[in-house]
Amino acid sequence: MTTSMDRLAAAANGKIIDHIPVFCNLLDQGARELGLSIEDYFSKGEHVAEAQIKMQKKFGHDNVWSLFYVGKEAELFGCKKICYATDGPPNVEDYIIQNYADIECLQVPDDLSAHPKFAETAKCLQILKREVGGKVPICAYLTASMSLPAILMGMENWMELLMIGPVEVRDLLLEKCSDFFRKEIEAYRNAGADILVYADPYGSTDIIPMKLFKDLSLKWMKRDLEPGGLNGVVYYVGGARLNSVADEVIREVGIHAYYPGPLDDVTESMRIINGRALCAGVINDIKLLDWTPGQVREEVRRIVQGGLQVNNKFFFGTVVMPYGIPEENIKAMILAAKEFGRTTDG
Amino acid sequence: MLDDVIKAYNEAVLDTDRTRALQIVSDAVAQGVSPEDIVFNVVIPGLDLMVKALSEGFDTNLAQHFMTSQIAANVTEKMLESFQSPPEIIGHVVIGSAVGDLHTLGKRIVIGCLKAQMIEVIDLGVNVPAERFVSEALAHNAQVIGVSAMMVHTARGENGAIKVRRLLQEQGLEHKIKLVVGGAPFRYDPELYKVVQADAWAENGVSALKVIMDCIQEVKNNDHEHG
Repeated sequence: MTTSMDRLAAAANGKIIDHIPVFCNLLDQGARELGLSIEDYFSKGEHVAEAQIKMQKKFGHDNVWSLFYVGKEAELFGCKKICYATDGPPNVEDYIIQNYADIECLQVPDDLSAHPKFAETAKCLQILKREVGGKVPICAYLTASMSLPAILMGMENWMELLMIGPVEVRDLLLEKCSDFFRKEIEAYRNAGADILVYADPYGSTDIIPMKLFKDLSLKWMKRDLEPGGLNGVVYYVGGARLNSVADEVIREVGIHAYYPGPLDDVTESMRIINGRALCAGVINDIKLLDWTPGQVREEVRRIVQGGLQVNNKFFFGTVVMPYGIPEENIKAMILAAKEFGRTTDG
Repeated sequence: MLDDVIKAYNEAVLDTDRTRALQIVSDAVAQGVSPEDIVFNVVIPGLDLMVKALSEGFDTNLAQHFMTSQIAANVTEKMLESFQSPPEIIGHVVIGSAVGDLHTLGKRIVIGCLKAQMIEVIDLGVNVPAERFVSEALAHNAQVIGVSAMMVHTARGENGAIKVRRLLQEQGLEHKIKLVVGGAPFRYDPELYKVVQADAWAENGVSALKVIMDCIQEVKNNDHEHG
């Protein structure tokens, strides 16, 4: 029987076995699946693993997540306060960097695997590996050094430091974030994650100018990824657009998989990548809150056909599905991606 | 000479080069350009140009919006110190992040642009309850309430912009105070502002300037009609 892992391996080689891999990023929905509040749900790795497995069986997509919420990375750095919502993702409430002096004092944890704040994630990964390892790709979310400061000091303060702050302070922070990243990716790999989503909104020219992307983002990307290599790494620009930088990242860094934003033209993404790497067609999942299942199906058709018209190194994906999306729309999306992603060369 | 200053200033802003922009302004003042000319004939037209370019699909990025706003606000603040007489304030706006939302960058970009345009801004900070948006708008005679939301649940939540609208309705304030929203979810769903019952939305912080100025004008027109 074909597994999700088989589908992904086939797609990476430009083949389709039964249908393209269908990635659906369900995170907070796990709380509803288990009948828990979002805060209770994210307090235990067992909860997250159980819900991820349940949701994958229920909806039939091709991935599970070890990600709790993005603020987890700030907690590993010492953030003490997370703001929980009843209907959305938890957020960092206290930024550990309040001023530039705090950057000097910022400590990168020695051993992330042994960090108490990593313990629940490790538990989650252990269960996922035991239950679905080798069959369903297990995803981890790791924020690039260029983007991590946004959750350590806030987007506003990071933008200010990046654009008009002292260069030596900026570089010190980037170096610490990159050191953290190198340890984090190693910890996730050791704990059993297969797909390492390298999240870098500041690696998109929606956020920063091309010159800064070339001077800084690429440089720090290379440093982040150099020790552990590129195996399983997916370049994800956090929902921003990818197309203007995709070629540069392929040539300069050589990442093997790309996750454009929903506002990118997917056919253009595929043409730019041109078979050199795997590429996702990503749906604008905020719209799934209000669309009918019929509208969802049509949009999935447009995306999947738009990608596959170039070649088969293609998979379907979502950004981070909002909590309130009706289940019938999730089902309609996944069914349609399988239906339209079942083509040609087999 | 002013034409050269305008051209050089706009290029520096587009290049996100604050040091160069400030130097251009400083040199112009040293050569006799008045602070009033700098604000009204360099900074404000520069902002207008950016707003127009964005409306025509000119591809820019968040860093450019941030720097456009910061440079405009910095220059205006400095020039105002040397104005012959205080400029006319063209409107009042209260702005904040929706309840449950702690993001500040978009709001800061909007505030910088508004201040440069001689609009008085009351920044209510983050995680602002709907009741406070309305009470502060009344206290400051604001024509516009700006609600920033970077997450889907804070953009669409019952206690965010939707509640501000309900309070405006209940208190009969809809002709006096307009509700403008912005933030990432609105970019990904341009119809979302209607779902949350806002009067208008802006795709980015710089474009918010025109949207808010139009709303201020609409309220002023309403005031005239209502005597």
